[in-house]
Amino acid sequence: MLRDLLYTESDEWVRIEGNVATVGITDYAQKKLRDIVGVDLPKLGTKVRIGESLAVVESVKAAADIFSPLSGEVVEVNQELTSTPELLNKDPYGKGWIFKLRVSNQDETKKLLTAEQYSDKIRGEQ
Amino acid sequence: MFRTPLLNFEEKLGANFGEFAGWEMPMSYSSYQEEHISVRQGAAFFDLSHMGRLRIRGAQKEVEHLVAKEVSRASPGEMIGPTAFLTDKAGFVDDVMLYKVSDQEFLVVTNAINREKVIKWIRNNSSLDVEDLTFQLVMIAVQGRKIWDFLERIDLPFLRFMLNSKLEGRDVFLLSRSGWTGEDGIEFWSTPDVAESLLSSFISRGIKGAGLMARDSLRQEMGFVLYGEDIDETVNPIEARYWVFSLEKEFIGKEALVDSLKQGVNKLRVGFKLPKKLRVIPRNGSTFKIMGIPVGRVTSSSFSPYLERVIGMGYVDSKHFFLGGSMDVEVRGKDYNVKLSDFPLLK
Repeated sequence: MLRDLLYTESDEWVRIEGNVATVGITDYAQKKLRDIVGVDLPKLGTKVRIGESLAVVESVKAAADIFSPLSGEVVEVNQELTSTPELLNKDPYGKGWIFKLRVSNQDETKKLLTAEQYSDKIRGEQ
Repeated sequence: MFRTPLLNFEEKLGANFGEFAGWEMPMSYSSYQEEHISVRQGAAFFDLSHMGRLRIRGAQKEVEHLVAKEVSRASPGEMIGPTAFLTDKAGFVDDVMLYKVSDQEFLVVTNAINREKVIKWIRNNSSLDVEDLTFQLVMIAVQGRKIWDFLERIDLPFLRFMLNSKLEGRDVFLLSRSGWTGEDGIEFWSTPDVAESLLSSFISRGIKGAGLMARDSLRQEMGFVLYGEDIDETVNPIEARYWVFSLEKEFIGKEALVDSLKQGVNKLRVGFKLPKKLRVIPRNGSTFKIMGIPVGRVTSSSFSPYLERVIGMGYVDSKHFFLGGSMDVEVRGKDYNVKLSDFPLLK
């Protein structure tokens, strides 16, 4: 888990840089899903509200919805995941990022979890 | 929940555990994809201690009455199977492997979820003596196209077994030339400590551990069915195109089976493949469609690391059994075109 990121109850991480939020799934989430074999990426320009499903990660075990941690518009998606979805397992916080949002309401970041709060959440589940 | 007696040993090897049919078992070690490829190109071992293992003693004619394949003509040391126990409506009570020890003694390997059901069913339908060996012995499969590059070659033809035998100098209760991956291999039943010592030796020679996820993707490539997913009491062997019976004899379910042969069936099991780049897995229950009309449902699907595409199987209405053609599968509200293929999908 990384200190400078924010997290969601549904196991996404968020890196905020200016008004752009980069989103991926946490190491804990990729371990739960195990071998990831596919990703259904959102379309560029998709407008989304906080908590809406924006992508789907397929593992052999299950298909998992990726919920948008904030409201905004999709400005970039990680096309590399289409051919190498295993990046989500190998490097969830780096090369395994999923999409970037232009954030429409910065206040919503208050609803996200800090690294400390997120690690408490995980501990509660184990 | 039950757990494999090899749990501590496998934990040290780096296994990830999960629940399958009420058992805590290794799901994968590093990655199921690598383990799958190891079997297709090298060799790997699987812990199958969750599988029900029963010893049956009594009159052979009673066994003959329970089992869909012919038992009497097999010789001792022969494996009869896969075969099945059927309901009187010819649905699958279980699909099993049957080992003929003698005319008075047989061993049965059941699916883990059916172990208790099968014990009861045999007792209700015969006066045979049933002993459950599941918790006394572990079961290991070593499978792979190159298995004999790693193991001392054993003198045993395919689907034959030996009892109270030796494997590389160690005592094993049962040793057979068999498996469920489509590759060459052996299976053995032994005490946990013998298994640990054999496995340690195999690992030092480069045989890798593989989990139940790789076992699942391997069997799907071959078109082998998994009880609870692809077959159950509502499906008969003809619909499943699972030729586990002989009509030369009498057995429970035969009458209904013969009726199905005469009248035909409404659905048939079929395999399918997705286009290479499409990484969507249609889960059990997804709908097959032609021109938007529902014509069946998916029962199993997985990503095949060997074929590098999503594969699976399911049932379609027999009027729409268009092998070699294509139809749609609905996943999360979207239709994806799939090609219907016969088994094995590995070809």
